[in-house]
Amino acid sequence: MANDREVLREIWDGKLPICFQLAQEEIMEIQQPDAFYVMVPRLSYFPLVTDKMKRHFLRYISQENSDSEMWLDYNGQPLKWHYPIGFLYDLLCGNDPQLPWHLTVHFTKFPEDVLLHCNNKDVVEAHFMSTVKEADVLKHRGQVMSTMQKKDHNQLWLGLQNDKFDQFWAINRRLMESHGDNEGFKHIPIKLYSDDGTCSQRLVSPKNNDGSRKTLQQMVAELYPDKHDVQLRTHGVIIPSDTPLQWLSEHMSYPDNFLHLCVF
Amino acid sequence: MMSATTITIEEFLEAAKEFVKKSEKVCDGWALKLDKTDIFKTYIKKDTFIECPDTTALYKIEYVIFYNLSYGVPSFSFNVWNSSGMLITLDDIRRMSFLQINQKDFYSVITQQEHPIFQRPYFIVHPCHTETLLAAFRSSSKNIIVTFLGLITPLIKLKLPLEFGYQ
Repeated sequence: MANDREVLREIWDGKLPICFQLAQEEIMEIQQPDAFYVMVPRLSYFPLVTDKMKRHFLRYISQENSDSEMWLDYNGQPLKWHYPIGFLYDLLCGNDPQLPWHLTVHFTKFPEDVLLHCNNKDVVEAHFMSTVKEADVLKHRGQVMSTMQKKDHNQLWLGLQNDKFDQFWAINRRLMESHGDNEGFKHIPIKLYSDDGTCSQRLVSPKNNDGSRKTLQQMVAELYPDKHDVQLRTHGVIIPSDTPLQWLSEHMSYPDNFLHLCVF
Repeated sequence: MMSATTITIEEFLEAAKEFVKKSEKVCDGWALKLDKTDIFKTYIKKDTFIECPDTTALYKIEYVIFYNLSYGVPSFSFNVWNSSGMLITLDDIRRMSFLQINQKDFYSVITQQEHPIFQRPYFIVHPCHTETLLAAFRSSSKNIIVTFLGLITPLIKLKLPLEFGYQ
């Protein structure tokens, strides 16, 4: 069970200051638009927090592009909206922090070979729910999600969308329970990303063969037998290597129920 | 980890190799892409061209079958490009009657996702029912990928030569 409530709260409250600027080639007015500054929750997704920013820039772009799909880049690299904001920052700026985070806004030339289309928030919801479901398949063979009611699924999503900690965790705690006489999940939902953006997924058990709790260090030794000094970052912090994976999964997973860890 | 309903990566690879061998015999164009450094990134794929009967426009289609680690089942993914190299959207694909995708299930079953191997957008058939369906056929299946494609074909018309059914 996710019992360390202060940790959950601290992670939920994590925010990033962002400075949005409209791409130069898209500005159609003589007057330059002001940059748009905003604090956004690390756990959220860009399409959920950019409505106001979009309205701010719309009057500076060509009318014919006002209905086209907006997208963001950092340093020329398109940002994948389907990853949590805090994870994107850790991946792209983890080694070289810059605050506020400067991002460029585009309304043309959507990089369709890199980014998923996202015409509305329903697409984000569908992506979020299917990721939570996948995590539950790893943890409890999908039993928790399939026994929940539709209104519970909605509450999970609305809790995240509206930044309501209690609403979200009232449901999410059930996804963080261990079943049977097992102290722990069947597998830990975990995705590991190198700084070139490649992701690897493995079936990771929260226990060692002798039944003891597996630590981060032990998992790293299994996954990267040739590498030394592997460090992992999430939510802006480097995780102590003696942290048990089960605790990490219960407390440091993103709302999609996956641990998204940056390897460096 | 063996379980009654899921398949292991080894079982998937075994079936994939056998499937590609059969495909070569009948020149069906499926190829195996082995990844020696990361076994989970091994997949089989087929490229094909389809002409739209109404407009005679030509489309390139890429089918990829890979191993879904979380669900422990094969997964089906594809992309379609037009002759200028532009990716076709989900709405466009739905209108392409020549692909013969079952309209009723369409949006609940096929979504655009980041491909776990290529990390680019692909249309992926959702794996959540695959496990139960495959489990029902598993004991009688000669090749799990042939059986799996049998489950996909009602959704997307793939012309699979009958020879795949023979031993």
